[in-house]
Amino acid sequence: MAYTTFNRIMNDQMKEPMFFGNPVNVSRYDQQKYGIFEKLIEKQLSFFWRPEEVDVSKDRIDYQNLPDHEKHIFISNLKYQTLLDSVQGRSPNVAFLPIVSLPELETWIETWAFSETIHSRSYTHIVRNISAEPHKVFDDIMLNEKILQRAEDVTRYYDHLIDGINLYQRCGEGTHTINGNSETISLYELKRRLYLCVMSVNVLEAIRFYVSFACSFAFAERELMEGNAKIIRLIARDEALHLTGTQHMLNIMAAGDDDPDMAIIAKECEEEAYAIFRKAAEQEKDWAEFLFKDGSMIGLNKDILCQYVEYISNSRMQAIGLKAIFSTTQNPIPWINTWLVSDNVQVAPQEAEISSYLVGQIDNEVDGGDFGDFDL
Amino acid sequence: MPTVKVSADVAINFDGQARTLLDALEQQRLQVNFHCREGYCGACRCKLLRGEIRYINEPLAFVRQGEFLPCCSIPVNDIEIEIP
Repeated sequence: MAYTTFNRIMNDQMKEPMFFGNPVNVSRYDQQKYGIFEKLIEKQLSFFWRPEEVDVSKDRIDYQNLPDHEKHIFISNLKYQTLLDSVQGRSPNVAFLPIVSLPELETWIETWAFSETIHSRSYTHIVRNISAEPHKVFDDIMLNEKILQRAEDVTRYYDHLIDGINLYQRCGEGTHTINGNSETISLYELKRRLYLCVMSVNVLEAIRFYVSFACSFAFAERELMEGNAKIIRLIARDEALHLTGTQHMLNIMAAGDDDPDMAIIAKECEEEAYAIFRKAAEQEKDWAEFLFKDGSMIGLNKDILCQYVEYISNSRMQAIGLKAIFSTTQNPIPWINTWLVSDNVQVAPQEAEISSYLVGQIDNEVDGGDFGDFDL
Repeated sequence: MPTVKVSADVAINFDGQARTLLDALEQQRLQVNFHCREGYCGACRCKLLRGEIRYINEPLAFVRQGEFLPCCSIPVNDIEIEIP
């Protein structure tokens, strides 16, 4: 069925599934099938921040004084994160908005993707500050083999889903001849692609960011590149929320109350879900090797980072009902947790960077007594 | 004063000194994974084997049946938990 930006069918939105029901018409939040997405929107809005609020000027001096192998670690991570957020800033919108059926979920997807665009802008803010030639850093992303390898796996599931949606919404289910090629699509196949896509996004936000997060915080533990660490901390806080979003979607799908097909698909795709996790963990370990090819940094080396990848992979898998696949049970870098605490993101009041905008903090209650000592 | 049984040989008293169960566990030097400490990331998920807990703030993270988040909860009565 074709997509419409304002579906004229007077449907009961409370009875729609998350995806592949009627397109959303009225964006209303007075009733919600899944209140959690509204809560995630509110939380994300309260997290709002702007890169320019964080002073990164001292990082320039720190960066100049880093030995070459640490410059390589720092800048490579920044490039990789730039790739990840380039994808995440657009893909949830392009892939999920044409098929979403609930207003609160639709708005969560838009809010989620918007916050990723803030991350992308913050990388330019950081790179501009540490390099006189920012274009060289960004140009290299499209030439760097190690990054491009990952790009393939990060985008494949999105592209496969988007391609299927285009065909389905134009031609419907069945076998169609498109530009001389025969292509077949069914709604069930599309749901499968959706499930795997959400799974791959979940893995992206659960594991792929954390190798570079760990490096940024390891620099800051030595009081280096602290402006960058402040920004990464804000990004990590957002990513934790996005991760919760995809975990909810996956768990709702697997439960089957929302769409019985999805529960069957979740079971059918279990092996592939394990494979997606395993491959991402392997790629991140390769990345750790690439980062430390010319030397380690104080507090972190390839082995520790690889153990950390295994440790968080296990924990993320258990969160969506999968079994742990690695033997690592202890966090090899427990100090990272302090950098991920939400409370600590709120800086001291005398500092300029306010990271958590207050929501609902204005007292609207006024009574006669409030004017007691007021004379005209 | 509810007791929190962590394993066969470790039990602690939740005497109200700690703000949350996570704080209480940490005061006893028990290692629990954590990130946000606000209930939205789910990193501190533990198993609740017996008893009841109450959330100070309703968590946003997905919490499966039989699990709970110690970062934003306190015990209502004697509980038995398992740290993964």
